[in-house]
Amino acid sequence: MMNFVLFLSLCFVLGGLAVASNPSPYYGVVGLVLASIAGCGWLVSLGVSFVSLVLVMVYLGGMLVVFVYSVALAADPYPESWGDWRVVVYGVGLGLVVVAGMVVLGLFDYMSEGNTVNSTGLMSVRVDFSGVAMFYSRGAGLFLVAGWGLLLTLFVVLELVRGLSRGAIRAV
Amino acid sequence: MTSLHLSFYSAFTLSGLGLAFHRTHLISALLCLESMMLSMYVALAMWPIQTHTPSFNMIPILMLAFSACEAGTGLALLVASARTHGSDHLHNFNLLQC
Repeated sequence: MMNFVLFLSLCFVLGGLAVASNPSPYYGVVGLVLASIAGCGWLVSLGVSFVSLVLVMVYLGGMLVVFVYSVALAADPYPESWGDWRVVVYGVGLGLVVVAGMVVLGLFDYMSEGNTVNSTGLMSVRVDFSGVAMFYSRGAGLFLVAGWGLLLTLFVVLELVRGLSRGAIRAV
Repeated sequence: MTSLHLSFYSAFTLSGLGLAFHRTHLISALLCLESMMLSMYVALAMWPIQTHTPSFNMIPILMLAFSACEAGTGLALLVASARTHGSDHLHNFNLLQC
């Protein structure tokens, strides 16, 4: 079971590399979707299923969907995917930088299994449910602050895209 | 450093490097920012698992709320740029160019 978690964490890192290696945005979103699905599976394998479901619904089903149809604004006549040499060079270069950093810092010497739920044998399925439920009882002030911030962001976005010489960023 | 910690540290570093380097489109930089937020979410969600503290499970969800705010603002900037300059190419942002 631990090997599955390691495979999912590897998929997570590869998704991040796929976004960072500068393909055309149409293909970059695919890397982000892969990374978020691998992250969800990873969190479920570790036992916390609620935060994983929140990630799927809010991040993948809310934010990434909006990103996917916003990449229509980034039209390229010749989109570069991961088969182009430019993207491959970027990806290999970034991977080498990270590996070199790990070697220099000596991180390969201290690899251990880790103290997660799988290694100690506990299944903490109720940890995340009760923790998030505390958001409504003890953390009500924080909840209201977050809600106020979200409402404020709505008006920020409205102000930024108002346009026609009355908005914040328009030349015409 | 466990291998699980290493994977989200390296995902964060890769996305941060991807944000820092030159690219053609603004939305590629926004995607790298989103990838950084995703790795931070997974890191914050793994922390209460390992320390067995239930009340810290609300922190990744709070972070996700503010990350949604930031993504929305970034996309609004993208739309404003596309309306003003016709595309979201980064070489259009040359107001401070000497």
